[in-house]
Amino acid sequence: MSEFFKKIAEKPFILASGILGVSYSSMKRIFEGGAGAVVTKSIGPILREGYKNPSIIEILPGTFINSVGLANPGIDNFISEIKELKRNNITTIVSVFGDSIETYTQVAVKAQDAGADAIELNISCPHAEISIICQNKQLTYDYVAAVKKELKIPLIVKLSPNVTDIGEIALSAEKAGADAITAINTVNAMVIDIETQRPILSHGSGGLSGKAIHPIAVKKVFNLYKIVRIPIFGCGGVFTGEDAIEFFLAGASAVQIGSALYQDYNAITTIINIAKKYLEVHNYKSFSDIVGNAHGFETQEVPDF
Amino acid sequence: MIKKPRMVQISEIVQESKDVKTFTFNINSILNNYSIQYQDPTPGEFLMVWVPGIDEIPMSLSGFNNNKDWSITVKKVGECTETLFNLEKSDLIGIRGPFGNGFQILEFNSNNQLNIVVGGGIGMAPLIPLISELIKLKIKIIVIEGVKSKEEIIFKKYLENYLIENETFYISTDDGSYGYKGFATDLFNSIIKKEIEKGNKINQVNSCGPEQMMYELFHICEKLNITFQGSLERMMRCGFGMCGLCVLDPSGIRVCREGPVLDSKILRTCTDFGKYNRDFSGKKNTI
Ligand SMILES: Cc1cc2nc3c(=O)[nH]c(=O)nc-3n(C[C@H](O)[C@H](O)[C@H](O)COP(=O)(O)OP(=O)(O)OC[C@H]3O[C@@H](n4cnc5c(N)ncnc54)[C@H](O)[C@@H]3O)c2cc1C
Ligand SMILES: Cc1cc2nc3c(=O)[nH]c(=O)nc-3n(C[C@H](O)[C@H](O)[C@H](O)COP(=O)(O)O)c2cc1C
Ligand code: FES
Repeated sequence: MSEFFKKIAEKPFILASGILGVSYSSMKRIFEGGAGAVVTKSIGPILREGYKNPSIIEILPGTFINSVGLANPGIDNFISEIKELKRNNITTIVSVFGDSIETYTQVAVKAQDAGADAIELNISCPHAEISIICQNKQLTYDYVAAVKKELKIPLIVKLSPNVTDIGEIALSAEKAGADAITAINTVNAMVIDIETQRPILSHGSGGLSGKAIHPIAVKKVFNLYKIVRIPIFGCGGVFTGEDAIEFFLAGASAVQIGSALYQDYNAITTIINIAKKYLEVHNYKSFSDIVGNAHGFETQEVPDF
Repeated sequence: MIKKPRMVQISEIVQESKDVKTFTFNINSILNNYSIQYQDPTPGEFLMVWVPGIDEIPMSLSGFNNNKDWSITVKKVGECTETLFNLEKSDLIGIRGPFGNGFQILEFNSNNQLNIVVGGGIGMAPLIPLISELIKLKIKIIVIEGVKSKEEIIFKKYLENYLIENETFYISTDDGSYGYKGFATDLFNSIIKKEIEKGNKINQVNSCGPEQMMYELFHICEKLNITFQGSLERMMRCGFGMCGLCVLDPSGIRVCREGPVLDSKILRTCTDFGKYNRDFSGKKNTI
């Protein structure tokens, strides 16, 4: 096992991309709260303002819709944040996107040179152009293979639930050399204001995150566990220790936490402590002991549906 | 708290100066229609104000009362504030919030102690409900309003009517067209000198305005061991602590959640204060 995956196995709780991931200082707080690694906001080749406000709204308790639109300062301006993360000994996954195979690769290599411990390839933001990649197994293969070729550090590929068959995309990523998979990115969604009769988000549609998507994410991880051999990072709606445990049982080797962390910087510590309590009460030594345990039962599940 | 943007009808518009207007709206309709739990706002909290088709921007509450009439005071500086500026009575705007923390009032009862409130320009907006609260608590206050020039003075009539006995109201203009000639910080310096000579103790300084002004006030207060609170501005997307755009280095303090009002203890830890902010992409720039 590589150094990176050893660290994740020790502390299988990771900050998800795009939540408090602009500055090293907020990521540092979450790392100190017990995360094994942090994923930065998705970073592209050049500065991008993203979509105007409203771009992040809580629409149900603990459930959010966002269309940030990949706002980021561009990799060259972000290098200093990566260096600051590393100066603070923080295990850093840089989330990367681009507008072509070349730019994806360029950004990933620059992040690697700046000291990133791993790269997470964002091919799945539902409200941006790049989402076409994760909807097509050939494109997924091409992008993943090209970036992987230039990397010495692990490559994680983040998948979208907004596809007919997430399994074939995951297999494609695995075949192209992905070292792990994150599932899932946000769920395509829309919210309309009934007084003005228009969508609330300036962009129109956006991605749903938080509590409402947790069962969707659990089901995707459950399916993927049956078909891929690389580790899966479960992501979507983890608000409690129980939510995290569900992911491990479905087959995730680690969980990513995003939306829940807006509450306060201690939120992640509470989630981790309650999850650890579960291990203690049920006499398990580590989270790896329960990975995939929900698969030991006869159900009428057909693997790919 | 109103979490999803909800439309309210503007019930009153007051022109405060050439570029500043106050908009009042009643939020009872939202509370009733959507069964939202109500809590009285604290002076210093802010709303995210949605102008459909244009943008959604942070605006401090410049007033609220028991009737649940809330108001914002807007300075015209760009596209969204200009569109707001041109709205008329009965037009709709969307609001969510209130977000952030408010001013913490240090209470004390000796009458040779006072609280100084310093506003720079539109920074007076969140200070108006704070001043009302201080008066209600019978705390002796001095209010300083600093503006560039006479035409920019806001809330003057209101403050002159309100601040009667125990309170004093000063105005500074950079160009000397009204009141003290010079910066609010210079006026502040001369006022505290006099008060200290008179044997008064300045217990707390509260401020909102250009960051450079607050930065200087903070440092004056540090030298004199006076507790300072300033309401900061940073680019905001979510307004409730999720996106990380408004984070201050190196402490990770979120201006939208742990702020916008930050006290000396926190400001001492913020190397960004007075020096750097971020644009909408997240890129750090010198102020
Ligand atoms: C907590 C807080 C309270 C505020 N209270 C008031 C108030 O009571 N009255 C008032 O007139 N103004 C207030 N502002 C400033 C106000 O939000 C900006 O003037 C407004 O966003 C400008 O928008 P615009 O489209 O007119 O101008 P633009 O041309 O878009 O922007 C002009 C400047 O406004 C600021 N700005 C723009 N968008 C945002 C954003 N999403 N978040 C933060 N700043 C932004 C930036 O500094 C920008 O350079 C407050 C800001 C904050 C952060
Ligand atoms: C405000 C916000 C911004 C996000 N930005 C990104 C991003 O830049 N890149 C990315 O891969 N995912 C992004 N996501 C998706 C999250 O990383 C995560 O996949 C999703 O929110 C589900 O997890 P959660 O329910 O724990 O938030 C964002 C989510 C939110 C709420
Ligand atoms: S504006 Fe999003 S965290 Fe403060």
